[in-house]
Amino acid sequence: MNRLWHALVAIALAMALAACGSSPPPGGDVAAVELRWYCCLGTGEQAEQVKAQQKVIERFHAAQRRIRVKLEIVTYDSARDTLATQIASGNGPDLAGPVGVGGAAAFHGQWLDLAPLIKSSGFDLSSYAKGSADLYRIGSVQEGIPFAIYPSTLYYKADMFEEAGLAEPPHKYGEKYTWPDGRQSEWNYDTLRELALRLTVDKNGKDATQAGFNPGEIVQYGFEPARDDLRYQGAAFAAGSLDAGDGKTVKIPDAWADSWRFFYDGMWKDRFIMTGPVFETEQFNGDGAAFFSGHVAMSVNFLWSTYGVAGAGDDWDLAAMPSHDGRTTSPTSADTFRILAGSKHPAEAFEFLTYLVGPASQELLSAYGAMPARTADQDAFFAKLAEQFTNKVDWQVAKDSVAFADNPHSESHTPKYNQTLTVLGTYRSRWMTEGGLDMDAQLKKMREEIQGVWNRS
Amino acid sequence: MKGETMSRAARREARYGLLFVLPWIIGFLAFTALPMAATFVFTFLNISLAEQEPLMFVGLANYQRLFADQQAWASLWVTARFALLWLPLVIALPFLLAVAVNSKYVRGAGLLRVLLFMPYVVPFVASALIWQNMLVNDGWINTALRLLGVGGAPSWLSDPAWVLPGLVMIGLWGLGSGIIINLAGLRGIPTELYDAARLDGAGWWRQLWHVTIPMMSPVIFYTMILAVVEVMQYFLIPLVLFDGSGNPGGATRFFNLYLYQTFFTYQEMSYGSTLAWLLFVITLIVTLVLFRLSRRWVHYTSER
Repeated sequence: MNRLWHALVAIALAMALAACGSSPPPGGDVAAVELRWYCCLGTGEQAEQVKAQQKVIERFHAAQRRIRVKLEIVTYDSARDTLATQIASGNGPDLAGPVGVGGAAAFHGQWLDLAPLIKSSGFDLSSYAKGSADLYRIGSVQEGIPFAIYPSTLYYKADMFEEAGLAEPPHKYGEKYTWPDGRQSEWNYDTLRELALRLTVDKNGKDATQAGFNPGEIVQYGFEPARDDLRYQGAAFAAGSLDAGDGKTVKIPDAWADSWRFFYDGMWKDRFIMTGPVFETEQFNGDGAAFFSGHVAMSVNFLWSTYGVAGAGDDWDLAAMPSHDGRTTSPTSADTFRILAGSKHPAEAFEFLTYLVGPASQELLSAYGAMPARTADQDAFFAKLAEQFTNKVDWQVAKDSVAFADNPHSESHTPKYNQTLTVLGTYRSRWMTEGGLDMDAQLKKMREEIQGVWNRS
Repeated sequence: MKGETMSRAARREARYGLLFVLPWIIGFLAFTALPMAATFVFTFLNISLAEQEPLMFVGLANYQRLFADQQAWASLWVTARFALLWLPLVIALPFLLAVAVNSKYVRGAGLLRVLLFMPYVVPFVASALIWQNMLVNDGWINTALRLLGVGGAPSWLSDPAWVLPGLVMIGLWGLGSGIIINLAGLRGIPTELYDAARLDGAGWWRQLWHVTIPMMSPVIFYTMILAVVEVMQYFLIPLVLFDGSGNPGGATRFFNLYLYQTFFTYQEMSYGSTLAWLLFVITLIVTLVLFRLSRRWVHYTSER
């Protein structure tokens, strides 16, 4: 028995020595603070983006020795759950980003208020357009410093318009659409619908307005909305929020209800939007963005779509967002980096954050395909972006779209944020996969379901 | 044994035994018993990482919420419907395939055994993603169905009515281990029993019904218990295929997926614990009922 005890003690000692005996990090960085940079609640997971982020970290390391940064890449699909788990287990990172309004709202109350650090460090906010910083102020908490913005525009395939004998959609906000017979129409979603029907074509070359059109064999769709988020679809019609204003009552904005009916009817009645099963097919999926498949004539999407839009061919361009009920809205995503309130090194994290949105911003923005929030950098960004494409793109549309940003933002925080998203996602999925639904009943039921969730607050 | 004292050697042996199982006991206490106890305590608290509220004792509020939570019952119904489709197949098919492979009339039984087991060793995520590509509208399955003249092939992954059969089909891919267990059981049946049955004039069917099934009943019962526990915990495939969204239209929001979402997406630790305890209680009841019923049909050859 004694021998056994001796052996056990010896093993325990050996294990303890092995655990304690790791050598200090090379380069004499014993006192360096180690920060964890968490990616990708938004963009940032593409190989080239990861490379750019690593390069930025290396430059930061070369410039100083007090702070070491470790980049943690978690793919977008699982990034929210993973971060939630890390925070829950008390192992949250120091800094996360780039993250948009929605990604940040999912962790409402868990971001550090940067206002005191901005004040004490004297960080200059004057280089951003007036009010930019307000995009990142949630209630009384300044969660971020302006970094990247992605306005929405209408992407379209010029060749499909030409083939159909139709004029391209207007590039300037306020301009009307001109039909082949000279008739002019307001550039709104009714006009877009009419165009989309003519641009939806079956295998036999018939469009959706013609007799004999076969909806079972469509080879080209007229329109693709922002499919992955009902709030975004709603905001493309008009800015709004599910929160009636008191933080307790759910109200589906009328424009959002209109946009969801437009989406549903477009799929199951008018057939100019592909249904869920069609969207899944290799022919039309376009790696998750149907417009990239090259079989869609028009699509509303954020500027970040430039990352894969080349898949649509070399004849795409940008047009103004259509209006709804006389109002034009360009849902705008605003990404930046945020510091977790639980960070043990907030000062160092802020130092790194100001480096990311400052000296490193050009390189990162270019990698993310993001439009700089700093107005002075925008022309250079578009000049560089233009070099990526062989076709001539009217980038001025994107610049002009910023003036129509949605306010309130569609992804703003609501009570029971993640649960609300789940309900919205379930309805979105149902609408994409089930025809013949009564949309009025669906909207009523959805409101009641979300209200039920909010009532648990 | 009452009143008897252990000999010195027996005591020493017991101490050694205890010493050797100590790591397992410590592991069980630290990683199973203690967390279980903790989650039970959580069910009476208001722990939610998403909402900063002071920690409070809330009594039975989480249980009240559970009874009123339509999503919890809808998710339980999704799990139950899947179980009704899945359990008969996962219990019967490995047994029948094992009987077939074990038959003296089947040639190349060794190769067949390898082929049937092979899918089981394919990494789980890889096989789920392969199946995803096979089951989409223009995937191999529907292409094959169309070639066979089936018009309007189902949308396996995007139609709420067809997604559960689709998931069952994916699950059949991993029957290899069940087949091996059943084969091992079949090989363990004494041949004298078959000889005696044949002498009594029993044909193939009577041998199967009166010899094979009774002798295999402990193995069938074992696979049944494992399958029930697995089906109650089922959620990984829909998590991978649909990113945990429950799509299409909530048809794949299994109870365990809802539990996972409640814990890790909604960060509601107390309510998640309540859901976990409901799952535990249901699994326990079903298992106990099966054990109780097993007395009527499971035939053990050894003494208990």
